[in-house]
Amino acid sequence: MARILDLTSEVGAYGTRLLVELGHEVVRVEPPQGDAVRQLAPHLGAGPSLELGAFHQFLNAGKRSVALDLATDQGGTLLLTLVANADALVASLPLPVAEADILAANPALVLVLLEDGPPEICALARSGLLAITGEPDGRPTMLGGHVPYSAVGTYLALAATAALFAKEATGASQTAEVSAPQCLAALAEQVWVEYSASGELLERMGSRGGITAVAGALPCVDGHWMVSVPPDARAWENFVALVPDPAFRDATLADEAMRRERKQEILDRIAAWSAQRKKAEIVEEAQRLHIPAAVVTNPLELVEDPQLLARGFLKSVDHPDFGAINFPMGVFAGMWGKALGFAPRLGQDSAAILRELGYSAQEIGQLADEGIVKTCAP
Amino acid sequence: MSNGALPLAGIRVLDFGHIVAGPFCVRLLADLGADVVKVETATRQGRTGARRGGQRAGANGRTPHLYHINRNRRSIDLNLKSERGRDIARRLVAVADVLVENFSNGVMERLGLGFRELAAINPRLVYASMASFGQTGPRRGWTGMNVTLQACSGLMLATGAEGDPPIGISNSWNDYVGGLHAAVAILGALGERRRTGKGRHLDVSQFEGSVAMLGSLLLASAVSHKPPPRIGSRSDSAAPQGCYRCAGEDQWCAISVQSDEQWRALVALLSERGAPLRAPRYASLAGRVEDHDAIDRILEAWTGELAPAEVERRLARIGVAAAAMRRGNEFEAVEEWRRVLCPLPSSGGAITKVVGLPFVFRGVSPVAAIEAPRIGATGKDALRDWLKLDEQSAAALLQAEPA
Repeated sequence: MARILDLTSEVGAYGTRLLVELGHEVVRVEPPQGDAVRQLAPHLGAGPSLELGAFHQFLNAGKRSVALDLATDQGGTLLLTLVANADALVASLPLPVAEADILAANPALVLVLLEDGPPEICALARSGLLAITGEPDGRPTMLGGHVPYSAVGTYLALAATAALFAKEATGASQTAEVSAPQCLAALAEQVWVEYSASGELLERMGSRGGITAVAGALPCVDGHWMVSVPPDARAWENFVALVPDPAFRDATLADEAMRRERKQEILDRIAAWSAQRKKAEIVEEAQRLHIPAAVVTNPLELVEDPQLLARGFLKSVDHPDFGAINFPMGVFAGMWGKALGFAPRLGQDSAAILRELGYSAQEIGQLADEGIVKTCAP
Repeated sequence: MSNGALPLAGIRVLDFGHIVAGPFCVRLLADLGADVVKVETATRQGRTGARRGGQRAGANGRTPHLYHINRNRRSIDLNLKSERGRDIARRLVAVADVLVENFSNGVMERLGLGFRELAAINPRLVYASMASFGQTGPRRGWTGMNVTLQACSGLMLATGAEGDPPIGISNSWNDYVGGLHAAVAILGALGERRRTGKGRHLDVSQFEGSVAMLGSLLLASAVSHKPPPRIGSRSDSAAPQGCYRCAGEDQWCAISVQSDEQWRALVALLSERGAPLRAPRYASLAGRVEDHDAIDRILEAWTGELAPAEVERRLARIGVAAAAMRRGNEFEAVEEWRRVLCPLPSSGGAITKVVGLPFVFRGVSPVAAIEAPRIGATGKDALRDWLKLDEQSAAALLQAEPA
C-alpha cells in the first residue's frame, strides 16, 4: 500500500480518510498549533480542544500525525525528506514549499493538489446547490454538517486513487489538480442539464425531491417519515394498500401525470393518515409492500442503527477519550475489514516517523527544542 | 498540450446500472478513460435507465438527465431473461475488468449473473454492487430512492435551522454520493488486483455513503447523546454568515464574515445604517454569534435594496466573502462552471455542453464527450471490439438474440 502525506485542509480531509479506509498509510502533516480540522466545532470535551473535535476524531481517524513548523527552513527540509520517502502527497494549495523542490525530492511522486476555493456557503451559492436546498417559500439553506466538504473529499479520493493507479502502471510521476468549487458545481449537473434541455430552472422543494409526484417528508406522532412512490401503476397500487384513503381508489390516479396534478391533495391526505401513527411502524409496513419509505432520522438516531452495526460501518469500541461508544468506521471498513485506528494526538507520530527516516534520538530532541518539530506521547 | 494516457485507459467496464447511481458511477470511470459497454433492455427501459414511466424522452430516447449521465459508452440491447442474452452477457464478462450494478439485492443472482457465478468465469473481475442498503444486514431487502436515502441518512435533519421541517436537496444527490463512493472503491480494488491478481466483490451501500459524509456529527451524537443542533447557514467560526434576501424576486446572496477585520470593513461600508453594529460586543466573533438575528436584520435591510451581484461586488471590494446565489441560467457567468463544462459534439439534442470531471491530470487531455446512444445502437461495435468478432459474426449474434 502507498505511504501518503496529507496536507489537506478541512475541505479535503474526508478524501484522505477514504484513502485510510482503503488501507493506505496516511501521515497528516500539521503545523505545531494543529491543523484546521482540529478547530472545527463541535468539540466533545469541556471546551474547545485540539484533540476532542468531532471532525478531527472522525476525519483524522487512522491517520498518523507529524507536526512540523513549515514556516522555517528546517521544517521545509524535513517535509522534503518526508516527500522523498513517500508515494504520494495530497495537499491543499498553496503548497508550503515550492512544487519544483517537491518533485526534485521525489521525481516519481504522485501529487494531488486541491484548490479549496471560497468559504463553503459562497461556493455552494456559486455552484447552484444553494438554490435547490430549502423550503420553497423560505430561505435557501446550506447543506448541514459540512457535507459539501465531504463531497469534495470523495472527488479528491477519486483523483488520488486514479493517479496512484496510473503511477503503478507507468512508474511515472502523476499530478492531479482538483478544484473544490468545480466539485460542487459538478454535483449540480442536473440543474444544468434541465436548463440546457428545456430552459427549466430547478428550484428548492423542501423535502419533496424532483422526480416522482408523490414524495415528501410527512408528519407522524413521533417525527417524520419519508415516502417516494415510484411512477408506475403497480407502485401506486401497493401504496393504496398502505394508505387506504377512499379517495385513492379513483382509477385515474394510477397515472403518474394525474398524480402530479393532484399532488398537494394527495400529500395532505397521506399526512392526515400518518399523523396518528408512528414513523417506524409506517416504514416497516411500507417496505413489506416494496414502497420506498424511510424514517427521517437525525444523526443521534443512527448511533444504534442495526443496519450500520450489522455491516461493520459502526463498531463498538473502547475509545481512549470517550469510553465505550459505537464508532463510525466508514463506507469501506466492512469491505476491506481493516481496523481503523483512532485520531492521533497532535505530533503523536513525529518522533517515530523521524526515526524511520534515520534521525537519531538526539537530533529529534534538538529539533523539538528548537520548535521545528512538535512531539507528543501517544 | 498533452500525450499522456488517462488512468483507466484500457480498462473495460460493463455497466448493468440503471436510473442514476450506477450509470453515474460508470460515467466517472468513463471520464477517467475506461472503455464502457452498457447492457440494457429496450423492452424494459425503466430498468436500464433511458426513462421511467411518466417522464418525457429527449435525445436518443432518454430523458435529458439520463442522456447526460449515460454518455461515453456503447449500448448493447440484451434480454437478460433469455439464455441467449445471458450467454452474450457472460461472454462480455469474461473479458471485462469491472462490472457495476445497482439493482435491488438479489436481482443479479436471479438472472444468473451474481458475483460467484461471474467470478468463476473471470476471477480478475472487480464486481461492484450498489444496492440502497447493501447486500447484508437486516435492511438488505429494503428499497430506497434518492429522497428516502437523504431522509434516513440524517442529511435532512442536519440541514436547516431549529424548527424547520426536514430539508433535503432537490436533485439526485444521494445517487451521486453513492456513485462517487463506489468509484473510489473500484479504483481501490483495481489497485489491489494489480498486486494480488484477484478481483473482488464490492458491497457498496448508498445509504452508508450518505451517512459517512455526516460521520463527524454521528460521532458527536454518540458521545453527547444529543442530536446535533440545526444551525441553518450559520457557522461557529464565521459570523455573520448566511443567505441574505436581495432586491428582485427570490434573489439571494451568500455572505460569510471570516474575521474581525472583515467585520469592521463591513460596518464601515454600511455607514449610518450600520451604526448599531458598532456596539463593542460585536467586535468579537462570540458577540456576533450571540446576536446573529439582530445583525442579520440590519444586514438584510441593506442587501434587500441591491441585486445579488451588486452585493457580491461591493463586498468583494472590501475583502468580505460574498457570492450571488446562482441558478442554471447563470452558470456560464461563474468561473468554476465555465471550467467544468465540456463541449458535446454532434449532439442531436439541446444539450451542447456537459459536466466533466472537476479535476485534471496534468499533461493528459480529458476524454472527449460522446453522447449517450439509443438503446442497443452500438451493441455490434461492442461485440466486435471486446469479443474480437468480425462484422458478420457480431451482427449474427445480435440478430439471434430475441427482443
